[in-house]
Amino acid sequence: MRELLTYVVNGLAVGCGFALIAAGLVAVHRVTGVVNFAQGMFAVVAGLSASWLLGTGLPHGLSEGAAVLVAAVAGLLTGLLAIGRRGTTPQSALIVTLGVGVLAYAVEIVVWGDQPRSFPGLPGSVSVAGVGVQSQHLLVIAATAVTFALLTTFFGRTYLGKALTACASNPYAARVIGIDVTRMGLLAFVLGGLLGGVAGVLVTPLRPISFDTDVTLIVNGFAAAVFGSLGRAGLALVGALLLGLAESLAAGYGYAAYQLEIALGLMLVIMVVQSTRRTSVLEEPA
Amino acid sequence: MTSPPTGEDAGPRPHGPGGPPAAARDLPHDPPGGARVTPPSTPQDAPAPGPARRAARLLPGLVVGAVTLALPAVLDDSALTVYIFLGLAAMVTVGVSLLMGYAGQVSLGQGAFYAVGGYTAGILAVRGGPPIAGLLAAPVVAAAFAVVVGVPLLRLRGHHLAFATLAMQLIVLSLAGRLAITGGDIGLQAIPPFGWGSFELTGAVGYAYLTWGGVALVMLVTRNVIVSRPGRALRALATSETAAASSGVPVGRYKLVVFALSAAFAGLAGGIYAYYTGYVAPSSFPVLLSIEYIVMAVVGGLGTVWGAVVGAAAITLLVQALNLIGTAPGMPSYAPSVLSYAVYAVVLITVVLFLPRGLFPAAVARLRRAPRP
Repeated sequence: MRELLTYVVNGLAVGCGFALIAAGLVAVHRVTGVVNFAQGMFAVVAGLSASWLLGTGLPHGLSEGAAVLVAAVAGLLTGLLAIGRRGTTPQSALIVTLGVGVLAYAVEIVVWGDQPRSFPGLPGSVSVAGVGVQSQHLLVIAATAVTFALLTTFFGRTYLGKALTACASNPYAARVIGIDVTRMGLLAFVLGGLLGGVAGVLVTPLRPISFDTDVTLIVNGFAAAVFGSLGRAGLALVGALLLGLAESLAAGYGYAAYQLEIALGLMLVIMVVQSTRRTSVLEEPA
Repeated sequence: MTSPPTGEDAGPRPHGPGGPPAAARDLPHDPPGGARVTPPSTPQDAPAPGPARRAARLLPGLVVGAVTLALPAVLDDSALTVYIFLGLAAMVTVGVSLLMGYAGQVSLGQGAFYAVGGYTAGILAVRGGPPIAGLLAAPVVAAAFAVVVGVPLLRLRGHHLAFATLAMQLIVLSLAGRLAITGGDIGLQAIPPFGWGSFELTGAVGYAYLTWGGVALVMLVTRNVIVSRPGRALRALATSETAAASSGVPVGRYKLVVFALSAAFAGLAGGIYAYYTGYVAPSSFPVLLSIEYIVMAVVGGLGTVWGAVVGAAAITLLVQALNLIGTAPGMPSYAPSVLSYAVYAVVLITVVLFLPRGLFPAAVARLRRAPRP
């Protein structure tokens, strides 16, 4: 029972990381229709920058904040390449973001080397219901909750957030009422970069990160986002938490080796089940 | 895809003595002069009007064929290795090009089929099976695997399919790294060389001919698929599955067949790879490999048979050249990998954004336009 609780907290923390990546994917996909393959890269860039900045003697907090900003810049650059040129279809943009992810490998190796990096997170542990829980796990969960609350407020209560939602639901109508759809798309990419960056700085203390960790991150994030049909951040959060729990429980009860298969298998099953409920007419471009 | 000169070729010119071109003959409801109904999307399937033009059209192919056959005799060993890997990449890329360009399906997991082919040949070979059986089994097992995973996965479209195939490759690699029969993370070592009877293929020259024989076979099969009735059906379903289905195209079956065919190509390449290097391990088939094939197919021009080979050649040679620079004295140890990542990325992004039809079709269109008065 005691270890079950530990696994659950661990799983929730890992799932929160996936949820932030998934939220970034959802934000970009809703506004631009592009699945951003470079989303995992934002987390990697943030994690590596944070560990490097801490190494140069910058205090905690400041380093992480700066790292998230670096990720946001990476998001903007990715967006410029993916949707900056008029007439790029979402399919081409997916391949462009794939290219951006590979380009980032080159940059990351030159700047930070090809070895995994990590940095100490929040030290110590807290006793919850008689079980010792690492503080970093709790920090991840709390930070994710705050981020999702902020996201909900942003999309629901601010003018900018509503403009983004307008672009998502009908780009043509949004343009008619004077919203610059391309600029909103870039903004969505920046938002994706921020969310990926937050995920990166939170998760790196739990799992060391290296330049090619982005594949695992993006696949798990995509799996979570698929749970919400790539359009609903709330459902993506649920999906990510389930995914994190499944992986953590599998690892805890002796199937650690099959962690990846479980996550990917879950994603495939969800996608195939979803596809049987949709007709192809809805998905074809007009 | 209709550049003005190709359009002229297909249009009002009278047909040769053989009646309407083959492309039009098997479409029962075509009006006379029906060649226009299927506008040639690639230079290859434009009907060849006269014997002289036909010869002129065949000439470049013959020259390329002769050069391909002559090259192994003059290349030294290290160049031969590049030549063989180029051929293997071309084989897989033709399949990717067919799948992406004609059937409109994105696969980020082509490396998985390459791996399945490699492991199939490797497992059979280390257990003493005859090499020829291993080489035949590699594409067959890869295709069978593609059918099994394709039945559920091909229900997915676009980016869903891309991620699903990527997931498939990650699962295959993870399993290969764990199972006893595949040798775990260490992989299969000391795979005996290819041969038949008492003859053993040990020199690189032999493998070069084997590889390029495979490339020729793959290109021939692809060309025949493209100009056939199913080929046109594929092009239709790439544009709109609903429309294709409503005009009687068995969408699901055709997608599955092309998926299996492209997997068979990759499997064949994987089989030859296993015999040539004598070693397969999960690390031989990284995810980046699948991305490489996409880069090659996109660079060459999706949906063109020759373009796939040109793309594979261009990228392989470019990466090879950069490798030479990267391993030059004075360069940091990470230089080769950084340079190759950067090249893949920059080439992929540039081509997708600025040359969406690919290098080969763009070059062909330019060449054709030039000599006209």
